[in-house]
Amino acid sequence: MSDSNESLIDKSARLVVSFFLASAGLWLLVAAGLAYVVAAKSTDPTFLGSCEFLTYGKVKAAQTNAFVYGWASNAVFAVSIWLLARLGQAEVRGRFYLIVAGAVWNLAITLGLGGILAGHMTSSDLMEMPVVVWPALLVSYFVIAAMIVVLHRSRINRETYVTQWFVLASFLWFPALFLVAWQGLELNPGRGTVQSVVSMWYSQNVIWLWITPIALGSAYYLIPKILGRPIEKYYLAIFGFWCIAFLAPWSGLHHLEGGPFPMWIPAIGTVMSIAMVFPIAVASTNFHATAFKDIGKVWNNLPLRFVIFGTISYTISSYIGIIFSLPAVAKITQFSIINEFHFNQRVYGFFSMIIFGVVYYMLPRITGNKTNEKAASFHFWTSAFGVMALLLAYLIGGLTHGVLSQQPELAWAESVISAVKPYFLISEFAFIILGVSQLVFVVNVWRSIGCPISFCCSKLSDNSGKVGQS
Amino acid sequence: MNNLLTFSFGVLLTLVVSWLAFIVGARSQFGNLEPTAEVLEENGSIPTGAELFPKSMPGIARQGAEEYVKLGCISCHTQQVRLAEAGFDVERKWGKRPSVARDYVLQENVLLGNTRIGPDLANVGLRGFSDEWLHRHLFDPQATVPGSICSPSPFLYEVKDEATNGTIEVHDHAGDHNGHHESDKSRHIAPTLRAQKIVAYLQALGQNYELPEMAFVEIKEDDHGEHHSDANASAVALPKWLSDQITSGKEIYMKAAPGGGMCFTCHQPTGLGLAKQFPPLAGSEWVLGDKPTLIKIAMFGLMGPIKVKGVDYTLAMPPPGIPPGSLTDQQIADVLTYIRNDWGNSASSVSPDEVAAVRSSVKGRAPMQMWTAQELKGDSK
Repeated sequence: MSDSNESLIDKSARLVVSFFLASAGLWLLVAAGLAYVVAAKSTDPTFLGSCEFLTYGKVKAAQTNAFVYGWASNAVFAVSIWLLARLGQAEVRGRFYLIVAGAVWNLAITLGLGGILAGHMTSSDLMEMPVVVWPALLVSYFVIAAMIVVLHRSRINRETYVTQWFVLASFLWFPALFLVAWQGLELNPGRGTVQSVVSMWYSQNVIWLWITPIALGSAYYLIPKILGRPIEKYYLAIFGFWCIAFLAPWSGLHHLEGGPFPMWIPAIGTVMSIAMVFPIAVASTNFHATAFKDIGKVWNNLPLRFVIFGTISYTISSYIGIIFSLPAVAKITQFSIINEFHFNQRVYGFFSMIIFGVVYYMLPRITGNKTNEKAASFHFWTSAFGVMALLLAYLIGGLTHGVLSQQPELAWAESVISAVKPYFLISEFAFIILGVSQLVFVVNVWRSIGCPISFCCSKLSDNSGKVGQS
Repeated sequence: MNNLLTFSFGVLLTLVVSWLAFIVGARSQFGNLEPTAEVLEENGSIPTGAELFPKSMPGIARQGAEEYVKLGCISCHTQQVRLAEAGFDVERKWGKRPSVARDYVLQENVLLGNTRIGPDLANVGLRGFSDEWLHRHLFDPQATVPGSICSPSPFLYEVKDEATNGTIEVHDHAGDHNGHHESDKSRHIAPTLRAQKIVAYLQALGQNYELPEMAFVEIKEDDHGEHHSDANASAVALPKWLSDQITSGKEIYMKAAPGGGMCFTCHQPTGLGLAKQFPPLAGSEWVLGDKPTLIKIAMFGLMGPIKVKGVDYTLAMPPPGIPPGSLTDQQIADVLTYIRNDWGNSASSVSPDEVAAVRSSVKGRAPMQMWTAQELKGDSK
């Protein structure tokens, strides 16, 4: 495709992608602030202790929801629209609907987080937002997904690439997951521990099937694009895709090991989790065999450095995840703060790092305004350091927590929890570093997008002019 | 994938298969469980007139479950006792038996949880906490459980200066940063209705019955279990200063934080050590024998070959304490008194004065210079 064509397509995506990115940035800061409060409360429970709206449990739930539905989902929308427009060489259409639906989505999350803090949260992981906002989330989601499908169908380039597979599949999976969870938790709640099965199925799959495929798809697009060489062993990529599609929905249930469920549930989860070595190995081979052909360029190109950090983190931590799904190991780590390691490695070390890379590549091309290189470099190093400190603290802290809690003679608070406290302190410092890092990132993004008010006015008039032309 | 419809069908099919297996499968297998009797007739029917379990909770406890959800307690507390092969939950006395699916069928909110920063609460109602203690704990967890990192919930209580009907006296704990409360001054708290609901819920949590599919687990009172009860039984008859010393010594033995000795990590909580690696303390001639030698080991550690109870070990035992060698005379006296009086050991206590005497006798020895068994044997002769 020609450069002029590409820039035309980028321009058509400008308004929508900027809108979703700006919102994503806002939520990233909200999540970072809440993450600090959570970490501070773990080291000093009396921190903001008398405030009813900020109990540990509420802030924790608000933080994960702000991260997954605020930052990650808005970023997913922005990146998916741009990827599909680029790959299909189609201009973004239905901008008005996308913006309105995006506004509703963000409003629903604002209300949802407010609801959690005000004391209306539910007890299911990643479905904590009060039930009243679920319809708004789903409806606005369907509008965005419909526009995504329209964008894909209006493509000029009929050949498809694995990135499109991942993006479209994740847009199909998310509403299916959400509806199943809604049905199983609210409309026709299962009796007894069936609820817990539904909840675990949803919360694991929303990470594996909603945000993971977008990050993988982005890496599949950006690595060959920047290096100017095709993905090595590309024929494996589609195999990897179907492996994830078939195995991932089963694998998360291994977390129910030993609980009040029939044994077949965690047992199947463990088997499928072990089988996940195939898609992980495929993605790793595709990415790293390509990247290591020209590692010098990877190192010198900031967006690519972010992406490769993400893919390496994906590979390592997914293998660690498989080890922790083995019953002999799960016995030790199951209820420990290793869970925080799993969540953060996926949404931070993997997803967010890749998205940061995509944003640094995409934003200048869409807006025509360069991002500040020094700030971006600062962002990379602080993020990389912060993420590694955070993950190591949770990993080692989780092992300590798990091993000591397996010794029935040890007093709980005095011995087990006091041994874990230093790791909470490290995580608190890591969250401060990450918070600063993200503030730099978000300000950089906002400056590149431009002042929201003047930008919207100019874009809307620009937009109406274009509509008139066509 | 030029045909979007086929593609959609394919990717949704993968999800549907997993949904059918896990969720539809789970519903049909255990979504219709009903309460049953502890023991069934031979033909599998419920005996007439038998009491059925689980029982539903009283209304106020059900409302308490909702408050528990709203405050987010689930983010740190589980409510499930795992199977024996999946963890030591029963040994930790978190329940008399592993939890099973039937235990939860009458609960609207099934709050299994997946992280244990706080203890498991599946059987919290059976642990003998009074309502008053639970209220004090919710109001200020650090005052009732030292070292707890639970968020306090003072907003569930009205604080009063005077005791009135239904108020509970609370004392400020030592680590209070506010400063303006004097330690001897006590306050009185009046639980709100919400607090009462939560406490009613906690007291209603308990799986204190057997089910046809799961009987109570007999904890094997092996080595340490027995010795614990022995130590407790004899502690009653001991003079207070001695039982205090043993209690404090045990704490040091089991503590892996500054102020502790971390002894259990090698010698194990059972005092039996680990075969071929760490020598036992139970019945050890080194522990029960010459006191100055034992004190020297506790001060400087020991390395090299050593014979304990007729078995050869090769050691590299650093001076106990965190950081190494930091135990005070009193702490060394306590921990040695403890190891001489647990796991069937019974020998005279060690006093801080005896430790101080040894310390002055080895003045000039470099702090981290570990003893060898040879050296110690020569000394004591």
